[in-house]
Amino acid sequence: MAEQAGARAGVTAAGSEPAAGAAGPAAAGGGRIECESVYKWFPGGIVLEDVSLAVDSGQFVCIVGPSGCGKTTLLRMMAGLAEPDHGRVTIGGSTVTGPDPRVAVVFQHFGLFPWKSVYRNVALPLQLAKVARDELDSRVTEALRAVGLAGHERKFPAQLSGGMKQRAGLARALAAAPDVLLMDEPFAAVDAQVREVLQEDLLALRDRLRQTIVFITHSIDEAITLGDRILVMDARPGRVVRDITVPIEQPRTISQVRHHPAYAGLRDEIWGQLRQSAIDRAGDQ
Amino acid sequence: MIDPASTTPAPLGPAAGARPAGTGPGGTGAGGPGAAGTREQIDAAIAERRRRRERRERRVYRAIRIGSLVVVLAAWQWYGMHSISIIFDPITTVLAALGHLWTQGGLPGAIWYSLWTFVLGYLSGLIAGVVIGMCVGAYQKAEAAVGLYLQALYATPMVAVVPLLSIWFGFGVLTQELIIALFVLFPSVVTVSYGVRNLDADLLEVARSLRMSRMNLWRHVLIPGTVPYIAAGAAQGVAMGLVGMFIAEIFTQLSGLGNLLQTAAQTYHTDQALAVIVVIMTLGVLLRALITVVQRKVAPWAK
Repeated sequence: MAEQAGARAGVTAAGSEPAAGAAGPAAAGGGRIECESVYKWFPGGIVLEDVSLAVDSGQFVCIVGPSGCGKTTLLRMMAGLAEPDHGRVTIGGSTVTGPDPRVAVVFQHFGLFPWKSVYRNVALPLQLAKVARDELDSRVTEALRAVGLAGHERKFPAQLSGGMKQRAGLARALAAAPDVLLMDEPFAAVDAQVREVLQEDLLALRDRLRQTIVFITHSIDEAITLGDRILVMDARPGRVVRDITVPIEQPRTISQVRHHPAYAGLRDEIWGQLRQSAIDRAGDQ
Repeated sequence: MIDPASTTPAPLGPAAGARPAGTGPGGTGAGGPGAAGTREQIDAAIAERRRRRERRERRVYRAIRIGSLVVVLAAWQWYGMHSISIIFDPITTVLAALGHLWTQGGLPGAIWYSLWTFVLGYLSGLIAGVVIGMCVGAYQKAEAAVGLYLQALYATPMVAVVPLLSIWFGFGVLTQELIIALFVLFPSVVTVSYGVRNLDADLLEVARSLRMSRMNLWRHVLIPGTVPYIAAGAAQGVAMGLVGMFIAEIFTQLSGLGNLLQTAAQTYHTDQALAVIVVIMTLGVLLRALITVVQRKVAPWAK
């Protein structure tokens, strides 16, 4: 608890400084994501059916939907980790054919290498890109400070709480200074209270990030809290059924969101969209 | 195991005294220097209490261990004194035989010989096992090519190939080394290839998203991720390698501890045979302990 409070203070204190290497291409439109009638089949049936969407550079989009709606598959396509069976995904105007250095992924289960210290985990993308040591050091330090992990550099992942692990995962993504940040249910593996703290911190950090962010979640509240825009997906077949602009101004806090006049209405609207398939799934079991 | 009567009274003293003051400001730590002090006192008292309990538990376990050792050694001594010396000898006689072997029976030389034969065979078997295991685990094509033979040989008791080896390579050191290496090889191949195959799929996906080259994949993911399994294979290899060493020495009758044991048994010097076994036991325990130390040094993140 004390650690989290300290970490939060770290983020807000650093709030006036520029984000880690984020200046540049994103502002020039390099972070625009487009999906053009994307289809994906798995042996069990169709996962994504005719998904078309565009995310503007610098936009924070949440994709919310039930499990099996293909939201993770869609994200993996943007990350170049999966290929569409039909249609195409472009980032900054060029078709995604594989993992791209302009894109960084934050994984649900953190994806930290247990044998590397926090510092080395965060430094890895830069090390692989052969960034010079001085620059590497300053970028890693900056990224760790931005997520509130300064002072934990030498710890190993096993010594961190779930929340701190995901901070490290985020720092690794930020250190690479990508145009696009893809987050796959990043807060799903931590408990509800830690999750709220992480959301607060991401909101605070968000002002300083110029990345396009695609954030996948199960949680309607999380989507409203974080997103500029929400894409609602439904399952069987997976498709985008609603595209909602969140009318709550940035920067914001969780409490501002909860008390915003539009909050309850938004929540009802999204829930109304997902309710039937949730009932179906609840009945299945 | 924990004696409630002795756990409670003494350590509670300082903590009980501090508690009323500590609950006042709500334990936030912001309630002034006095509150912080009591908070620390409580923490210290709790830590002290835990330390005492652990110390007490350690003492109990040590007592049990010593007690069991005394019982076993006494039983050995008693049985040895009441049995024919060709069948079994009391521990005092065995220790005397140990002294005799050490000074006049060439025990130091035998230990030295066995040890370096073992180290050489063990290391070559382990290195080959790790390399083969890694390749088979990482590359499906390698597994398709040689997996069948590895499994067949793993299922074969290695003792069965010992006579063949001596036909092919004679009764020399080479045969001994080969036997030890073979005994170490298969368990490590199996353990290491299992380790590579069971690497966290999430981490492989991370590696992909970071566009790691094949070399970097080995360096940053495959090798470090397999280290705990390599360590497990190495520890298992010690036990298997010692078996191999003995079989080799008894079979080739060259020299070393196995030969010493064989000679003692064939001349009905049971006391000497028992003495050699005690030496072997000690050697095995020490080697395993050494592996554990190395394991902690190399892979501190693995349990």
